Amino acid sequence: MPLPRLLRNTLITALVIAAFVISYRVTEADFPRLFRDLPKGRELLTAFLTPDVFTRDLETRTVSIVFPVPCGSASVEEVFPAEGPRLVPSVNCAAPLEKFTLQGFDLQPNSEVVIRWRLPDERTMTAIRTQTDANGYFSQEVQARPIQASVNGVASRLEVDTLTPVGGLKPSQALKDVLDNMFVTIFMALLSTTLATLIAAPLSFLAASNITRKGCFGTGVYYLFRSFFNLMRSYDPLVMATVFGFWLSFGPFPGFLALTVVTIASLGKLFSEAVENIDPGPVEALQATGAPPLHTVRYAVVPQIVPDFVSYIIYHWDINVRISTIIGFVGGGGIGYYLNLSINDFKWNQAGTAIWAIVIVVWAMDFLSAEVRKRLT
Amino acid sequence: MLRIQNVSKTYPNGTQALKNVSFDVADGEFLVIIGLSGSGKSTLLRCINRLIEPTEGKIIWDDVDITAASPAELRKIRRTIGMVFQQFNLVKRSSVLTNVLSGRLGYANPWTSLLGIWPQEDIAQAMQALERVGIAEKAHSRADALSGGQQQRVGIARALMQNPKLILADEPVASLDPVLSHSILQYLEQLNKEGITVICSLHFLDLVHRYATRVVALKDGVKVFEGSAKEIDRAKFKEIYGEEAQEVRAASL
Amino acid sequence: MSKQMSNVVMSAFVPGLGQFLLGERYRGLGIFLGFLAIVATTLWYGQPLWYLFPFLIWAWNLWDVFGLAAGQKHSVLLPLAFGLAAAYGIGWQVVEIDFSRAKVERAVAILRPMLQPDFIQPRRELNQMWVPVEVPCSSQPPAARREDAGRVATVTPDCGPVGETLLVKVTGLWPKTETNIFWQNPIGNPLMLGEGEIRMLTQMTDEEGALTTVIRVPTTALVAAPDPTLPQFHRVYFEQARPIGGYELSFIGNEVLKGALATVSMALMATGLAVLFAVPLSFLAARNLMSGNPVTYAIYLVVRTLLNILRSIESLIIAIVFVVIVGLGPFAGMLALALHSIAALGKLYSEVIEGIDPGPIEAIRATGANWLQVVRYAVIPQIIPPFTAFTIYRWDINVRSATVIGLVGGGGIGFLLIELIRVNNMRGVSAVFIAIAVIVIVLDYISAKLRERLV
Repeated sequence: MPLPRLLRNTLITALVIAAFVISYRVTEADFPRLFRDLPKGRELLTAFLTPDVFTRDLETRTVSIVFPVPCGSASVEEVFPAEGPRLVPSVNCAAPLEKFTLQGFDLQPNSEVVIRWRLPDERTMTAIRTQTDANGYFSQEVQARPIQASVNGVASRLEVDTLTPVGGLKPSQALKDVLDNMFVTIFMALLSTTLATLIAAPLSFLAASNITRKGCFGTGVYYLFRSFFNLMRSYDPLVMATVFGFWLSFGPFPGFLALTVVTIASLGKLFSEAVENIDPGPVEALQATGAPPLHTVRYAVVPQIVPDFVSYIIYHWDINVRISTIIGFVGGGGIGYYLNLSINDFKWNQAGTAIWAIVIVVWAMDFLSAEVRKRLT
Repeated sequence: MLRIQNVSKTYPNGTQALKNVSFDVADGEFLVIIGLSGSGKSTLLRCINRLIEPTEGKIIWDDVDITAASPAELRKIRRTIGMVFQQFNLVKRSSVLTNVLSGRLGYANPWTSLLGIWPQEDIAQAMQALERVGIAEKAHSRADALSGGQQQRVGIARALMQNPKLILADEPVASLDPVLSHSILQYLEQLNKEGITVICSLHFLDLVHRYATRVVALKDGVKVFEGSAKEIDRAKFKEIYGEEAQEVRAASL
Repeated sequence: MSKQMSNVVMSAFVPGLGQFLLGERYRGLGIFLGFLAIVATTLWYGQPLWYLFPFLIWAWNLWDVFGLAAGQKHSVLLPLAFGLAAAYGIGWQVVEIDFSRAKVERAVAILRPMLQPDFIQPRRELNQMWVPVEVPCSSQPPAARREDAGRVATVTPDCGPVGETLLVKVTGLWPKTETNIFWQNPIGNPLMLGEGEIRMLTQMTDEEGALTTVIRVPTTALVAAPDPTLPQFHRVYFEQARPIGGYELSFIGNEVLKGALATVSMALMATGLAVLFAVPLSFLAARNLMSGNPVTYAIYLVVRTLLNILRSIESLIIAIVFVVIVGLGPFAGMLALALHSIAALGKLYSEVIEGIDPGPIEAIRATGANWLQVVRYAVIPQIIPPFTAFTIYRWDINVRSATVIGLVGGGGIGFLLIELIRVNNMRGVSAVFIAIAVIVIVLDYISAKLRERLV
């Protein structure tokens, strides 16, 4: 007895180790790289942890000076002020690409500063951004325009905007967008769960062995639906959504359809199992009274399956909310689509807002569905 | 000789399970503790091997103060005190043999036993113990494949592995069919006749009459009676169990 | 009467409050929350027509509180119907459900190639021949002629600029066989020569294995060239194929197999890695072990909360972070799955630990065993089988998730799927779908059988 068991255990251990070794190679695992590049993730995580939720209105004040590039290309007739908000460059003009220092005095304190060129044809070019200190002072190295910036003796100007937050906090655009998309997401889950329930409930009877598996035709139907459910269930809704997205182009609609198809299969399977597990006693009892089949179903079958059905529906509603939050990644619309867009545009704070919204909604749904199911059982 | 001296136990939530309980148990006795559920029987038994720490009082066994023993000393003491439980407390997924062998852990080499390696003589002793309780053929079954009576016999075999001088039995038959009660208690009686002291808590009065050499009764953590089983008449019974209690005989069930 | 009125007034301001005060607490709360949800939804949607529904519910609520005060209880079916009508009506429009978009012809165009999954192909041998052509012309272009193993190919004229018409002749190929003719630029990229330069030019060889046709130098021939005025040698290719009996894996089939292996491996590695972290964490997240003193209880709360937060973030989202850190590929997907699994397994494991039977622990302690022995003989035998069962179950789930994680660049079969869809290769997509079904169903079965034996 002990030897074959030892042999068996050794064999299993060897197989498991071999599987892991193969997997290690196939997945191209590179843990040194993970640890080396972990700091790259820090920027992302800090952005996620500081989601873009509120903004404040910005008051913009502009100060400008004339600044010819190159020197002598235009005459300077302006008088620079000696007090009040003012800009002081280290040189009064510069050759193309020359670097000089620009200082600002008595500007708006603690504000974002945007330094830009205003060319004679009124086009503007943002040069650099910086920040004023508590006294409204900044000092920043600026590079002159790469080509001559004066036209017909009119010199280009250096403009400085100070952006000062004023007024109270208000919801940011990202928060509004996230909220909008979240509504779409929740509706997607709601509608797909409902539609799937309406379709899966009757179909589940066809896949229940105790109802359908009678005679040649019935057995055929039973196996047909059973294998359909099993096949469709094996696809993640996202995999389905890729094909539906290809068919119907992007938007919440293909996501909704993909989710519905997979949910039909999954609910159909669960429902049919609930139908198979009913107690045949009441059915026999009603048949014995001579009740017609439809009445037998109505009074002996339905009351037995309703609690299971409801519990499965709520369970699936929970899952579908989860999935509809990410189905947008493959073109399904909703918050996932928004998240994907923000990530592709490297707007990590905005992505953070979406992720937090997803966490909160998933959590809330998880909690709600658990509570409701607890009540039911 | 086991001396219980002024033992009290107050649980952290304020429940006073034992109040100043004292009595002596001579070697070779079959002492039965009776009382309602919650009267402190289980707490008292667990105080003896300090599975529960008594809040006050002393327990002295063969002139060693159990209550003052260091952890290492306590383990040495525990390994000579076998214990049998109401719920058997077997590891259900382990084999019967492993369950019985685990009674030997206090003696076993701490490192090899961690690897599950046991000396031949321990395995032989375990098989002997199983034979003694009549289920040697089940040695390689999983513990939860056995019936309740069989599981309790494994529990007794586990206690036997400790070569105990004292066996604490906490309601050993309460989870069993009444008809099985006698078979289990007879094993304990037999061990008692071989010189092992037995302290056992029981529910049914007729079992008490049949097996006990002496009886201690607890009510709300207070010792209310100590004496021979014969002294418990109807009046005494009512005093211990309360006015509304009806005596139920195990044999009549 | 005044009391009744006061309840009605209260319900007019806060729907459900009157009912609540009349002792119907759940009814009142339900009406209040339901009303709030519908108001929020219609306000968000912002189409005035839909405001009708919250108004109807509000009106019903007044009628209800009136009835309740008079000892009458109305059915809640009506407001439920109002609420659902609003929710589904708005939902229908928000989700942009429009079945007229579901064009059958397009579905057929997608599904028809899917009936022939590109997994295996008849084994065949290739007959390839090429001839160099100079584009654009140099001052003394060499003859565009090449001989190889009895086959001769020529192009006249010997060279030409983009768009030039060339006469191509080849002899010595297999007779009466379809031949693909295509262009190859100097860096080795094939360019089509057929209609609109997006189709393959195909011709039949005659009885002698000869072929003559006219081509144009493709408009994109010089796109990749660093200097379009510099003459370089391009090639005109002739390719024939004929079956030699038997079947072989097609290129896509090979990729599908590789993707399937990567997917299963990803799931296995992720599960293994997750177990390493989840086991110690689960002990810290087990209430019965950690509620002893305030410090351990604080650790318990922190670990529990972290696991819960992590669990509610889909592995797909975690994958994005890892793709940024370690780049595209199965490694990123594996790490994401592992992180998500740590949270999921940690929770399941800690529930196992919380549910262990304290009896055996007591019994083993009573035999005089030390702490390690108690863990080895009373705790581990109780937790190993459920731990293993949950681990296998998780592996099963991870395989499913691994098929998806490739969609965001996590490698495996999902990555292949999205690439194939991008290039409209529906035969390949079909092969991927079959592979996914086989993997998932087989592993589902294996994991169910294994778990059955463990319980």
